Amino acid sequence: MIVARGLTKTFGAKVAVDDLSFTVEPGRVTGFLGPNGAGKSTTMRMVVGLDRPTAGSVTVNGHSYASSPAPLREVGALLEARALHPGRTARNHLRWLAASNGIPRTRIDEVLDLVGLDAVADQRVGRFSLGMGQRLGIAVALLGEPPVVVLDEPVNGLDPEGIRWVRTLARELAGQGRTVLVSSHLMSEMALTADHLVVVGRGRMLADCSMAQFIADHAASYVRVRSPRPGDVEALLRGRGLDVDRHGDELQVQGMDAAGIGDLVGRAGLHLHELTLVRSSLEDAFMTLTADSVEYAAHPAAQEAQAVR
Amino acid sequence: MIDTVALDPDRHVPGVRRHPRAADTLHAEWLKFWSVRSTGWSTAMLFVLGAGLTTLVCATSAAWLASGEADESPASFITWGLFFAQITALALGTLIVTSEYGTGMIRATLSATPRRGAVLAAKAVVLTGTLFVAGVVTAFAGYLGGNWFLDREGIGIALTDDGVLRSMLGSGLYLAGLGLFAMAIGLLVRHTAAALSIGLALVFVVGNMAFLLPGTWGEWVAKLLPGNAGSGVATPVPFNPELLAPWTGFAVFTAEVAALLLTGWLVFRHRDA
Ligand SMILES: Nc1ncnc2c1ncn2[C@@H]1O[C@H](COP(=O)(O)OP(=O)(O)OP(=O)(O)O)[C@@H](O)[C@H]1O
Ligand SMILES: [Mg+2]
Repeated sequence: MIVARGLTKTFGAKVAVDDLSFTVEPGRVTGFLGPNGAGKSTTMRMVVGLDRPTAGSVTVNGHSYASSPAPLREVGALLEARALHPGRTARNHLRWLAASNGIPRTRIDEVLDLVGLDAVADQRVGRFSLGMGQRLGIAVALLGEPPVVVLDEPVNGLDPEGIRWVRTLARELAGQGRTVLVSSHLMSEMALTADHLVVVGRGRMLADCSMAQFIADHAASYVRVRSPRPGDVEALLRGRGLDVDRHGDELQVQGMDAAGIGDLVGRAGLHLHELTLVRSSLEDAFMTLTADSVEYAAHPAAQEAQAVR
Repeated sequence: MIDTVALDPDRHVPGVRRHPRAADTLHAEWLKFWSVRSTGWSTAMLFVLGAGLTTLVCATSAAWLASGEADESPASFITWGLFFAQITALALGTLIVTSEYGTGMIRATLSATPRRGAVLAAKAVVLTGTLFVAGVVTAFAGYLGGNWFLDREGIGIALTDDGVLRSMLGSGLYLAGLGLFAMAIGLLVRHTAAALSIGLALVFVVGNMAFLLPGTWGEWVAKLLPGNAGSGVATPVPFNPELLAPWTGFAVFTAEVAALLLTGWLVFRHRDA
């Protein structure tokens, strides 16, 4: 379990993490979402004691990371930036880490096998591709079989097979009862992996809820209605105080569920050719939620030109 | 209801010991130190430059030293190669810290061992242990090689001669101290090129130029600079008669290194990694 209380970090005048309080529970995957520069990596560095909070605190299993006698056996972390010496082999990198925390050497081959790097274990990591480096980072995180696993953008640089593997791995780890915190920018990725969401923007908490709750709250939905007599159906629904948008012969209705609309239209003796619940994508929901807190957005060329004028 | 994985951090160590200890941190630093190529190369360079150049300079100067014209003691030449071995000691000391910052390794190191004092202590032990042994072995090899040529001219030096054994031991001590000195600079500066330049400049450039300073004030500054104060212990008879006495100088050097290291630690202790 990871508990953050009033966690704050400033770099000079920049507030990278602003008064975050959240709990990452064991037994489920918690997705940590936010646009670029939202403070996800900074928060994760504070979890493992690399950065000192300006205010507030974060504890792992009830105590600070630094006070753990054998931290790698308690928390496994994959951080954003590579933490490898290019001249060292993968096996030697794992060897010194294992030695530092009294982890048996047999575990090294186990994790190399697990992440699929056994064939290149004795190569210098400077030659590793982005994805291979990422796999080694995951091997490091799992070395001590930790009950708490923190992964900062683990799928970064992985191929589709690797992405699916990380997704399955995260779910398995949570299934074993471990605490799993995974960061990402991709809502679509989190939708497949996470049970719970913590969404941040500009260092501030935007949402802390279950995946299902997030969908219900933020994914806007409407009912698409087609009828041979759209004008009559529109008039009927408007008469009931529903919100109707007409696009050609398609009606987009909000304010009542599909069953209710169907019954209403049926009782009026009108026919329907389509009655569909349409949800905007989670990606859209995420974009809407974080729209105000995107700091580093690309500007389309047209807007740029206008701005110059 | 899912069971929570046991939080006992000892569950993988079959009943042996409770927690990782200082010895484990030391072991990790040792593995780290020797698993990159630069360490092996640097140590080999230290030996080759140190012992090789001493032998070479003795071979080429023996005849002159044996003649009446010589104005230097042969004993000044017996650890001559050490002058160059200083470079590798500075390089190893710098790299043990700056290579971690340069590559991001420092984050792995501090997540594995969050007690930063323990990390520094382990690094210091690995570094000084290696440099002390390398320094003493190199000095002895240089003595054996160089003395073979001096002996042929009848001016051989016995190990029992004044200051000879002390200089062998002193070579190891001085290089170990120099390594720590560079490590402290590395902690403060964090960039390999910058830290190494500062270390080399302080020992080789500033150290020599300071003797040009005027008056007794200038003389004292020169004597007290780390390279000048510390290196006296590593030669039986120094070329430069103005240096402090060997052990006095080494004590000054040790104090300077300790102060710099303490500053480095104070900065390192709370810094974001
Ligand atoms: N060491 C640092 N010094 C100064 N500013 C920093 C430092 N680390 C992070 N920041 C700033 O803090 C903010 C949060 O950065 P952080 O890397 O935590 O974001 P993030 O959510 O991980 O972003 P991304 O999705 O791009 O990885 C950014 O504005 C960044 O510029
Ligand atoms: Mg990040």
